[in-house]
Amino acid sequence: MKVQEIQNCIDGEAKTKGDPSAELQDAYTSDLLSDVMGNAPANSVLITVQGHKNTVAVANLVGMPAIILCNGRGVPPDMQESAEQEGIALYTTKLDQFTASYRVAQALGKI
Amino acid sequence: MHVTADLHIHSCLSPCGSLEMSPKRIAAEAAARQIDMLAITDHNSCRNAPAFKECCNRQGIVPLFGMEVTSVEEAHVVCIFEDTPGALDFGEYIESHLPEPRGSSSMGGDQVYVDAEENILGQVNKLLIAATDISIDQLVTMVHERDGIIFPAHIDRPAFSIVMQLGFLPELPYDAIECVNPNCGIDTLGLPIITNSDAHYPEDIASRPSEYQMDTLSFKGLRAALSRQHGPESG
Repeated sequence: MKVQEIQNCIDGEAKTKGDPSAELQDAYTSDLLSDVMGNAPANSVLITVQGHKNTVAVANLVGMPAIILCNGRGVPPDMQESAEQEGIALYTTKLDQFTASYRVAQALGKI
Repeated sequence: MHVTADLHIHSCLSPCGSLEMSPKRIAAEAAARQIDMLAITDHNSCRNAPAFKECCNRQGIVPLFGMEVTSVEEAHVVCIFEDTPGALDFGEYIESHLPEPRGSSSMGGDQVYVDAEENILGQVNKLLIAATDISIDQLVTMVHERDGIIFPAHIDRPAFSIVMQLGFLPELPYDAIECVNPNCGIDTLGLPIITNSDAHYPEDIASRPSEYQMDTLSFKGLRAALSRQHGPESG
């Protein structure tokens, strides 16, 4: 699955493009960023409700090319700016974390 | 001069704080334990600050006024001000950034504010342990603009610490770093490490005070003492 396919998969809105052709191998769902840092696989998409610029910092550190912000949470300007700078794709969706997760799991061929 | 201070205490206003933690009781217990300087820091509200000021003055303790704010990262951050008007103004702002109450859900504890004689003046309807929508970066800026002191709370605790929420300590111009164990091994950016009681019950008041060398026993004295402790790596 490529980063650019996320938007349709979760009925989302793209806030930053990141690298549209980057290949996603996995996904990780968590709202505790120390947990993301310790356990999320690289080249995966982060599914979370943590809408602030430190989420981008953690995704960057782990090597995650995309973030999905669930439950209709807004993107603060400093988060958007940070995602643009780091080349991370940032999507918002009205779906909750569970629904976004199983839709991404389907797209990844995991279920 | 040598000063013993406890800069992180909850009163009966915090839902997780004991109802016995009236400002009057807090000041009396702290005086009995030889505390010179004491800050009231309830969760996301300052409404016990006026009573706290009166009670500390009676006991000869220098009072400071603040809150333990929950940032959007769901991390606890302590901010402290010199006097009640500044603290109350910021307290109102912080309360306005808490979510509206959901139905008749329980607070998980009483959230009452009182006078200096322990009479209940009212209670807060919003859930005070909820998170604001303000980031830790914004908090640091806003507190400094208002001439306050700010430090991330108990960064070595497994719950509600900025390090546990994010996995790291963001490099920001905090005035200090609060740890439960000063030898926790977390990189504290060359900033002064302090300990405080974080008391929710009378028996815990002044249980982990910090010692400072101050020119004057005052908020300004505290700020100067902290800035002297900044290491070479601090911003």
